[in-house]
Amino acid sequence: MNKMHNLGTVIRFEVVRMLKKPSFWLMALGFPLIIAVVFGIVFFSNQATMEAAEKLTEQKFSLAVTDESSIIKPELLQALGAKIAPSRDSGVDMVKSGQVDAYFYYPPSLSDSKVEVYGKDVGMFDNSRYSAVANMLLSESVNSQVNPEQRAVLQGAVQVDATMYRDGIEYEGFKEMIIPGLFLVLFYLLIGFFGGQMLNSTVEEKENRTIEMLLTTINARALIAGKILSLIILALIQIGLILIPVVLIYLLAGPQLQIPSVDLSNIPFDPLRVGLGAAIFAFSFLLFTGLLVAVGAAMPTAKEASQWFGIVVIFIFGPLYGVTAFITYPDSPFVRFLSLFPLTSPIPLMLRNAYGNLPIEEALLGIAILAVSAVLMLLLAVRIFQHGAMQYDSKLSLKALRAKRNS
Amino acid sequence: MASTRPIIQIENFTMRFGDKEVISDLSFEVNRGDVFGFLGSNGSGKTTTLRALLGLYQPASGSLLIDGKPYRVDGDTSLGYLPEERGLYKKETVLDTMVYFGELKGMSRQDAKDFSKKYLERVDLADKIDTRLDKLSGGQQQKVQLGVTIMNEPELLILDEPTKGFDPVNRRLLMNIIEERKKAGATIVFVTHHMEEVERLCNRIILLKDGKAHAYGSISEVKKSFGGASMDDIFVKVYGGEALEVGNE
Repeated sequence: MNKMHNLGTVIRFEVVRMLKKPSFWLMALGFPLIIAVVFGIVFFSNQATMEAAEKLTEQKFSLAVTDESSIIKPELLQALGAKIAPSRDSGVDMVKSGQVDAYFYYPPSLSDSKVEVYGKDVGMFDNSRYSAVANMLLSESVNSQVNPEQRAVLQGAVQVDATMYRDGIEYEGFKEMIIPGLFLVLFYLLIGFFGGQMLNSTVEEKENRTIEMLLTTINARALIAGKILSLIILALIQIGLILIPVVLIYLLAGPQLQIPSVDLSNIPFDPLRVGLGAAIFAFSFLLFTGLLVAVGAAMPTAKEASQWFGIVVIFIFGPLYGVTAFITYPDSPFVRFLSLFPLTSPIPLMLRNAYGNLPIEEALLGIAILAVSAVLMLLLAVRIFQHGAMQYDSKLSLKALRAKRNS
Repeated sequence: MASTRPIIQIENFTMRFGDKEVISDLSFEVNRGDVFGFLGSNGSGKTTTLRALLGLYQPASGSLLIDGKPYRVDGDTSLGYLPEERGLYKKETVLDTMVYFGELKGMSRQDAKDFSKKYLERVDLADKIDTRLDKLSGGQQQKVQLGVTIMNEPELLILDEPTKGFDPVNRRLLMNIIEERKKAGATIVFVTHHMEEVERLCNRIILLKDGKAHAYGSISEVKKSFGGASMDDIFVKVYGGEALEVGNE
């Protein structure tokens, strides 16, 4: 009963302590704020581009054209008030002398040569109006010679609806990846946001010099367990703080920001893959939490602990470089090794599970290895915390840890 | 019936850091109800012995028992420990810190709060109850840490230099608090360099030098063995310094 009471006390204290820190809220709200700002910039940029494009079309300029391709419709040139230049050189001279604002030369073979545009400089962004009109003349001329169906084909506007089957059952590849793939995203977010805090959770007890009083008051295992559980709670709070604004932005301003709509009822849910994904995620998170806590417990200061964070990050994010191999060569020894070695397995396992090329036997073996590794790592973290507790000025060496184990 | 077994039993305790032997075959006992002075200069092994007793260090050999067993935080003996390395959560308030440790020691939240408020009033820190610890002076932080140490009225108090850095007024306040705990029946192990505190509070002492005991027993026994000298002079004699000869000044 006392152990549970102490665990609850540690969890409550650690969670409240973190919630009181401005840095927590900065991180929690900073991410959705940045997303909102980026979307805002995209939105206003789109608006500005559309307005600028409209303004461009309204701006009139004098034009001369030489069409050796015979594609441009004379009626279009007439509508624009364009003059016909007898040759390329004369057209260029007309621009240079100021007789016209712009000159377009359409070569005989548009597939071999470029359309040449010459114009009076009106500023870096406004100069693009000349090319826009030159292209418009071409596209309008061609469009007028084809029917709407042919136009749709030429513009690549024909929509294709593809249906795949796997073992006789309809299979929607990308959609099937969404829910299992969320675990991978979640893993990255949590380690990214909380990795530093996990590292510091134990080293700060040394820096505060509270460790002696703590270890003579509460069991080290209960203390570490309390810290890890509090980190999980804080991670869930942070995920909520990130997701809620994102969902609100999607619901309230999705169309205006041109965010594609998602029909949630259409997203496949495979209980086996989701279950495997959840298990891989849970044990991966525990393993890396234990690793970061252990590193922090062995270091005398937060600064030295943070130097090791980079090494841990390599193990976590390094496998990303093998993404193509995981998808294309899932049976290769290289992929198999990365999928089973506990420090590299989280990414390959979650990715392959999401993609659907992770056999159940391999998944279960990978999960078992992760689970055992996570437990061992957490026990090691407790041991390092206990034996490194009094080393305020130096790292706990493996030799010292082994000596303490044997004494 | 109350146990007559010593509350602390240390037998043939040896401690090494690497190749260096810092404590050599040390043995002593602390009886229930004792106020036991643990004396010695800096580096003599006092703090090392206490940490080994509390399980923070692994001894090279020997046994260190509290109430007949190696110390465990979830054991039967209630203990309050004031370490030599002072430290609390700097960014937390006085009350939050005291309540946290009180709850860890098994007190209810309300009891911990009530004790904290009474104690802070006693040590003249009532107005600092909601102040962050890093805004207090070193002496004020020490008072808070002492409050954390005694707040569950432990039957065994281990105080490593509790008056370090205190002015005479606060030192006397602290002595009074320790005496109250003594009268309440607590056993107190008390590390100090101030011999007047030893003479006032302690009934038994051990004096360490280079990890070995050079004096051990009741105050009267120790004084007798050193020819009736004061504790100050005994300390100086053991450490090879000059004795104070008042008549020759």
